[in-house]
Amino acid sequence: MTITAPEHTALLAMTGVGKSFGTVRALDGVTLNVKPRSVHCILGENGAGKSTLCNSIFGTVSPDTGSMTLGGNEYRPQSPADALQAGVAMVHQHFSLIPTMTVADNLLLGRDGFRPPRGQLATDLDRIADSYGLSVDPKATVSTLTVGARQRVEIVKALLRDPQLILLDEPTAVLDVHEIDALIATCAALTDDGKSVVLITHKLGEVARAADEATVLRGGTVVGGGRISEMGMSTLLELMLGDTEPLDRAVAPRHRGTGEPGTVLQISGLRLTRSDGSTALDDVDLTVGRGEIVGIAGVEGNGQSELTSVLSGAIAPDTGTVRVDGADLTATTPAQRTAAGLAVIPEDRHAEAMIGALSIAENIAMPRLSQYRRWGLLDRKRMRADAAAAITEFSIRAPGPDAPIGSLSGGNQQKVVLARELSTAGLKVVVAAQPTRGLDAGAVAFVLDRLRAAADDGAAVLVTSSEIDELIAVCDRIVVAYRGRLLGSVSTRSDTAANDIGTLMTGVGA
Amino acid sequence: MMPRLHARHPLVVALAAMVIAALVGFALAAAAGAGPADVIDALIEGTLGSPFAIGTSLNNAALLMLVAAGFTIAYRAGLVNVGGEGQLCLGGIAATAVGVSMPDGVPMPIGVLTTLTAAALAGAGWAAIAAWLRVKRGTSEIITTLLLNFVGLALVVLMVQEPSLLRQPVTSSETLPQSEPLATSAHLPLLGLAKNPATIAIVLAVILVAAVGIMLRHSAAGLRLSAVGLSGGAAARLGVQVDRTAFLGLTTAGAFSGLAGGCLVTTAPFILADGFSSGFGFAGLVVGLLARGSMTAVAAVSLLFGFLVSGGINLQLAAGVPSSTITVVQSVLIILIAGAAWWTTSAAPSAQKVSV
Repeated sequence: MTITAPEHTALLAMTGVGKSFGTVRALDGVTLNVKPRSVHCILGENGAGKSTLCNSIFGTVSPDTGSMTLGGNEYRPQSPADALQAGVAMVHQHFSLIPTMTVADNLLLGRDGFRPPRGQLATDLDRIADSYGLSVDPKATVSTLTVGARQRVEIVKALLRDPQLILLDEPTAVLDVHEIDALIATCAALTDDGKSVVLITHKLGEVARAADEATVLRGGTVVGGGRISEMGMSTLLELMLGDTEPLDRAVAPRHRGTGEPGTVLQISGLRLTRSDGSTALDDVDLTVGRGEIVGIAGVEGNGQSELTSVLSGAIAPDTGTVRVDGADLTATTPAQRTAAGLAVIPEDRHAEAMIGALSIAENIAMPRLSQYRRWGLLDRKRMRADAAAAITEFSIRAPGPDAPIGSLSGGNQQKVVLARELSTAGLKVVVAAQPTRGLDAGAVAFVLDRLRAAADDGAAVLVTSSEIDELIAVCDRIVVAYRGRLLGSVSTRSDTAANDIGTLMTGVGA
Repeated sequence: MMPRLHARHPLVVALAAMVIAALVGFALAAAAGAGPADVIDALIEGTLGSPFAIGTSLNNAALLMLVAAGFTIAYRAGLVNVGGEGQLCLGGIAATAVGVSMPDGVPMPIGVLTTLTAAALAGAGWAAIAAWLRVKRGTSEIITTLLLNFVGLALVVLMVQEPSLLRQPVTSSETLPQSEPLATSAHLPLLGLAKNPATIAIVLAVILVAAVGIMLRHSAAGLRLSAVGLSGGAAARLGVQVDRTAFLGLTTAGAFSGLAGGCLVTTAPFILADGFSSGFGFAGLVVGLLARGSMTAVAAVSLLFGFLVSGGINLQLAAGVPSSTITVVQSVLIILIAGAAWWTTSAAPSAQKVSV
């Protein structure tokens, strides 16, 4: 399918597109134009609506309001098949290749007809290799390929449909520096051939090199955009991060104890390789002192989750050590870590922090069941009493200590987790991963207050979050996770903290 | 606190399933020419008609309770033990080996205790193979325990066929391939009711079922089993040794089935022979599935099944209805239970949300 559009009009035009999921307005009145022969970048932080926008164009989500045109004609895809038919292809962030099959078999999957057109495929692959410099070995088994090569296969798969518009969803998240260069070159070759590319990313550094135009999304709305050459990086950065007025620094300035704080948590030389071969942690060093709150900012997928898992004992690092008060905890079980005074608020509450079908009392007592033994059985009465006390202290909205924790709202579930972890005997270190995710404003303030109180009582607190303003409000200093490393050490007292962090986050400074 | 029985309590579901299965049974019997009245007469005659019938039924029920109690323990940890039959066979073999070689003059309590302990250990050891594979290699315990059943059944045949193993001394061509009778001190004592073969197995089983019920509900071990079964990831984070708990859960299930095998050979006629297990391991699995975690239901369903098995034999003798009808009824029950599991999960009212 070929779409002819005059040079001056948009290939894809979106007007007032909106989409709600339940009460959440994921997209609101989005208007943007993708010009022919251009690379158009959609920028935004997590939850800004980038994925919903992309899925609306590819037909996996149908917008509630607004309209789209493609090549001047009305465009309203009901499914990815419609989108492909209309000349729109998408390369997803997570690859959809079957690892045990060859590249050729993967490319032929889903084709109609009884006999796969292998001869045709070879011709097409030659043509794609010539035009865009994208060569793939059709006989190779996918599982033997590097991540970058797998992505090339995905792009080739999209190009076999001969689309006019190609959507790339976070294409650089898993690539190394050279692979990113190759991808940017591919984008340029595609536009030379008359196609347009929509690149979804949150990495400013790449935008500058690859894109002609950019649109910045925040909270589901377009907050700005235009030609990159006219806008400049600093404008884009400001648009992306938004108004980072500190939350409540005036209300609760942190009072630090006098004198040098002793190191409590010491992380040195941590390295970890993911199962797909990519680097999760690359020589991570970090120390957190007594009473100190250190924040880890960064776009997700830069190793923060893995760092938390290593600290909680869920996965063992390839090399490196984790020490609490000098004691090496690297090879210990979660139970031994709890005994050493290490509290963890995991990122994935449902999978790691709580057992939904069990009661609040059972969830709170679980790490210290031996304390509730009476005549060989569980002292349920005391478990309930302790849980009732926690419910009062943390103002948890619950019918009672026997209510299944799964029946509570997310904020109250998190408060139960917080109550349990902060009451760890001999608390020395608190590791909190995305502790405020999905919570409403009241619960966010409560969680942050509690973390601050734990530090005031002498604990070393390490907070991971993608909410920079929250980190600035609660932390003493902030480091930025970028490609498995921890960059910088920004004091939150500095007035330029938000900008410094933002610059590090987007990889500009790396 | 007395829990009120609501529509989706396991006991209610089990009872409803049984009523439907009974109707299917009556229909099959009618097709064989026996009216409902004849069937009920024959069943009552076969189950409650004589002290002998009652005693046999109670002995059957004890075996089912043991296997089903073990199944429930492993099930709490999210493991499905399909290997009751094989574990029961190993228990029977171990009990026979100990029982036939027991010297004269051993006091009865010691003799019985040693024999049953050997049976439980053998069952646990058999289950430990599957448990180890599950924990270390991630192999599905459903597959391994199921396949180990056939190995266990074949081992019984090997034991009773091979004179150097457990076969009784071959004196003529008519010597049956079975073990020597167990020594008297290894025999399970009878309850002592007139003309009634019921042994203390039923007492043992009831005590163990109650103990398992208390363990699951009121002990730290029970809570850890539940945690592992409900969410391994969270249990690990909360300091539960997930692998160890799962391993012990499955081996305990094996110990219970092995104990059932021990009870089987320490009850008249006190021998190990091919087919001695009579499928009690599989029937116990059905009871466990049917009871769906409730130990009250384990006891109730075991009693019902125990009586049904003896009743089925009389059904054929007295009413001319094939005793396999009972097997069909049991199978219908399994299908209904599977359906009920779907019904309870899909139609359960969503948990009430409490907003902030």
